[in-house]
Amino acid sequence: MASRGGGRGRGRGQLTFSMEAVGIGKGDALPPPTLQPSPLFPPLEFHPVPLPSGEEGEYVLALKQELRGAMRQLPYFIRPAVPKRDVERYSDKYQMSGPIDNAIDWNPDWRRLPRELKIRVRKLQKERTTILLPKRPPKTTEDKDETIQKLETLEKKEEEVTSEEDEEKEEEEEKEEEEEEEYDEEEHEEETDYIMSYFDNGEDFGGDSDDNMDEAIY
Amino acid sequence: MTQAEIKLCSLLLQEHFGEIVEKIGVHLIRTGSQPLRVIAHDTGTSLDQVKKALCVLIQHNLVIYQVHKRGVVEYEAQCSRVLRMLRYPRYIYTAKTLYSDTGELIVEELLLNGKMAMSAVVKKVADRLTETMEDGKTMDYAEVSNTFVRLADTHFVQRCPLVPATENSDPGPPPPAPTLVISEKDMYLVPKLSLIGKGKRRRSSDEDATGEPKAKRPKHTTDNKEPIPDDGIYWQANLDRFHQHFRDQGIVSAVANRMDQFTFQTQTSSEIVRTMLRMSEITTSSSAPFTQPLSSNEIFRSLPVGYNISKQVLDQYLTLLADDPLEFVGKSGDSGGGMYVINLHKALGSLATATLESVIQERFGSRCARIFRLVLQKKHLEQKQVEDFAMIPAKEAKDMLYKMLSENFISLQEIPKTPDHAPSRTFYLYTVNILSAARMLLHRCYKSVANLIERRQFETKENKRLLEKSQRVEAIIASMQATGAEEAQLQEIEEMITAPERQQLETLKRNVNKLDACEIQVVETIFLLESYIESTVKRQ
Repeated sequence: MASRGGGRGRGRGQLTFSMEAVGIGKGDALPPPTLQPSPLFPPLEFHPVPLPSGEEGEYVLALKQELRGAMRQLPYFIRPAVPKRDVERYSDKYQMSGPIDNAIDWNPDWRRLPRELKIRVRKLQKERTTILLPKRPPKTTEDKDETIQKLETLEKKEEEVTSEEDEEKEEEEEKEEEEEEEYDEEEHEEETDYIMSYFDNGEDFGGDSDDNMDEAIY
Repeated sequence: MTQAEIKLCSLLLQEHFGEIVEKIGVHLIRTGSQPLRVIAHDTGTSLDQVKKALCVLIQHNLVIYQVHKRGVVEYEAQCSRVLRMLRYPRYIYTAKTLYSDTGELIVEELLLNGKMAMSAVVKKVADRLTETMEDGKTMDYAEVSNTFVRLADTHFVQRCPLVPATENSDPGPPPPAPTLVISEKDMYLVPKLSLIGKGKRRRSSDEDATGEPKAKRPKHTTDNKEPIPDDGIYWQANLDRFHQHFRDQGIVSAVANRMDQFTFQTQTSSEIVRTMLRMSEITTSSSAPFTQPLSSNEIFRSLPVGYNISKQVLDQYLTLLADDPLEFVGKSGDSGGGMYVINLHKALGSLATATLESVIQERFGSRCARIFRLVLQKKHLEQKQVEDFAMIPAKEAKDMLYKMLSENFISLQEIPKTPDHAPSRTFYLYTVNILSAARMLLHRCYKSVANLIERRQFETKENKRLLEKSQRVEAIIASMQATGAEEAQLQEIEEMITAPERQQLETLKRNVNKLDACEIQVVETIFLLESYIESTVKRQ
């Protein structure tokens, strides 16, 4: 385009369109240049129309709020694992806070889902049932040793070692509907002096630990 | 998926399912279909968390899976389905208006749980209804079943695709994921169940089957052992059918607003249109541009019982509707006393246009709206012509046009006179492209809803301490009332919340309610615009 190169030299201030056509006449004051981004809450010229109120509107509103609350309580609401608090407290061991990381609270129909999505909790449990029986007698002596140790060392060191085992055992206890005797539960859940069922915030003081072999039999 | 949509999906998932599901869901929406390990790697979450999240998402029909070659299963998120979560309250309310409380609870359970078997739904709903009834009365399963069957017959609930029954003829190892199939005719087939029973009131008794204590599971839980009669048949809410219903509602109310204001008989034209729509409910698919032709005789026979207008009056009304410039109803033939159709596509277009006009009127003023309607009617106008036709002074008209242009409600069409497109020798015509304006407005609506949700969450978080305190006080009062406390004690407890705190709580409640109500309004607008865009895109 010959004219373009030529136009650059002459008439520098010329625009490609005529000012009158756009509507800015000669001598009109142009609006001031904008030096900052537009305000966050610009004032509205016109007031917005009021929201519809009435029985239907209020019912739907209440329904919405109820639904929101209800969905938080359903098992589909997955909360991230509670982070460890700064100080490990004694009661941590005895307070079971919700579903443990590796399992789901509800039972989907596994036939409809890809197999890879199934979280393998069964495996642990199967291992345990086979090894359970022979392990029991040696376990008691182990426990005795451990109790002696506990009296001497700080509890905190053990917690780290035994808490994982505890969790796994608790998980297998809870998630599977195996008919395990109460004896087993107590036997394996506690790795401490105190019997699990005793710790109930001081409310239940029950003597259901007759068959507990942990305490030394005098 | 636009950024605004993704942001909205993220907020919805977080509010309803928690952060883990939100992270996985948003990642899938952004990146498309991916296998399990890649998801875990890219989002940096543990494999188990990803599995949990995917189970939840698949259960709620938000994610689908597909088996590719070499046995790799890929998961894909459905962004539009996530956005439907905004409308859950409306679906439930619609079920309530059509099938009363029983229907409402059935749809609510199905929406909250994604998919459920019929027996499970019936049992749960019966229990819930029994809770609300007076002491001594219980809800029979049969009644709930009947409502369920009615919902299935009118297509409001449908069956989920089934696992195909492989009968030991599968030689190789089972596939990594089942391929679910459903045939059209089976979709609404209700299995023959004989559900006998009554709803149970939830008492704090030991043999409550639903509340299983965590520590010591009872050994004999008969409910879990019995095989469910309709094992493997799951039901879900049919959202498309609800959308069809909303659309019909919109059309009927539009006709009522337009035609029934000045007639003596209340709402005759809208009743006629409603009847026509009801007759075409199952025969016409939801994406058809117009309904099947209905003869005037058929319409006359199908009018609701209370309406005793004569055939002639009906014909007059139909002619009036067909001649209306809005073209909701069209005449397609003369047999059978006149064949009439409802122009669904045109109706949606009119509704979308009305929405746009209303937005401009509320945002820029009625003169702007006049210019907009003018340009819409005349299709293309030059600047000078706009000033003349609208009878608005030149300066103001220019100002308004440029304001609307900057917000993309109006666009410019260039028509060059010379091949070099010189601006001084080009016509610039203002025009309205409804589809693009609707898309732009829809995008803004998504942004507004996201803003509303965020603001509501912010307000709630700011006052979290106060809210918790008030909840605790309420719980204390409730427990004290149950054990029979004196007035003075209750007064004392109530005074634990000081007057300015009460004021703050009131303000918070009012604000949250207002934000929620705004959200509901915007979601209705979103529905209209989405329907129009979908219908237009399908026709192209």
